[in-house]
Amino acid sequence: LCRECKRLTILNSELFTLTYGALVTQLCKDYENDEEVNKQLDKMGYNIGVRLIEDFLARSSVGRCQDFRETADVIAKVAFKMYLGITPSVTNWSPAGDEFSLILESNPLVDFVELPDNHSTLVYSNLLCGVLRGALEMVQMAVDVKFAQDSLRGDNVTEIRMKFIKRIEENLPAGDE
Amino acid sequence: MAVCIAVIAKENYPLYIRSVPTQNELKFHYTVHTSLDVVEEKISAVGKAMADQRELYLGLLYPTEDYKVYGYVTNSKMFRKLHNSFTDVMCNPFYNPGDTIQSKAFDGMVSVMMVQAS
Repeated sequence: LCRECKRLTILNSELFTLTYGALVTQLCKDYENDEEVNKQLDKMGYNIGVRLIEDFLARSSVGRCQDFRETADVIAKVAFKMYLGITPSVTNWSPAGDEFSLILESNPLVDFVELPDNHSTLVYSNLLCGVLRGALEMVQMAVDVKFAQDSLRGDNVTEIRMKFIKRIEENLPAGDE
Repeated sequence: MAVCIAVIAKENYPLYIRSVPTQNELKFHYTVHTSLDVVEEKISAVGKAMADQRELYLGLLYPTEDYKVYGYVTNSKMFRKLHNSFTDVMCNPFYNPGDTIQSKAFDGMVSVMMVQAS
């Protein structure tokens, strides 16, 4: 089935949410340490991101971004919309224009989720940080991505902070972690 | 073909009743009223716990000489809200079935319901 003819399959969002939840809770049981789970989620996200970028570029036919501002808009308005059905807002730009925030009003990964008290340092949606980092690495951008606010941990909104580190030279291959 | 449809409130009065126009519509109303006894009987037979959680199709209540009467019971909004909140608790990946429910969202919903009921 060629990519051009492939129609977008609608996946039931509850199944997706429950699958992600099962993944996180299993990691919690396996590692018994929130920090370690956060790291694993980031790693897994990275491995997804380096692959997902291909799908994204093929489906969205977005061209090369001129600057980091354009990258931010594409991430918020195209990528998040395409994969999670949400459109976060882009705010809090640093004066140098190398750092911004994505504010998520809702997040399908965390529907029905309530963090128990013994997991107060768990960054439940950390997979997303890895995905963004891996995907951008494949388009020659090294970025740092982390959650600045998390509705699961009591904040009003969920905020992902993204910082541009540097441009990656094209001849350096990036591998799986 | 239905000749008469009635929706009865839990206080046993009709919220809605409509029949096919005939000479003796009162007879239908009468039949509906008497069938309420059968409904109550069936509900108590099935058991309180089940009735609270689900919509109950009671099936054929009783056949009269000319007609058959069917019954259907629905739960109130309160029980439906409770059921929905319970389903949300079940969907929390950190909740293990059989654990006591310690969900703040569930607590919040119950508090709201208790204020309304009192």
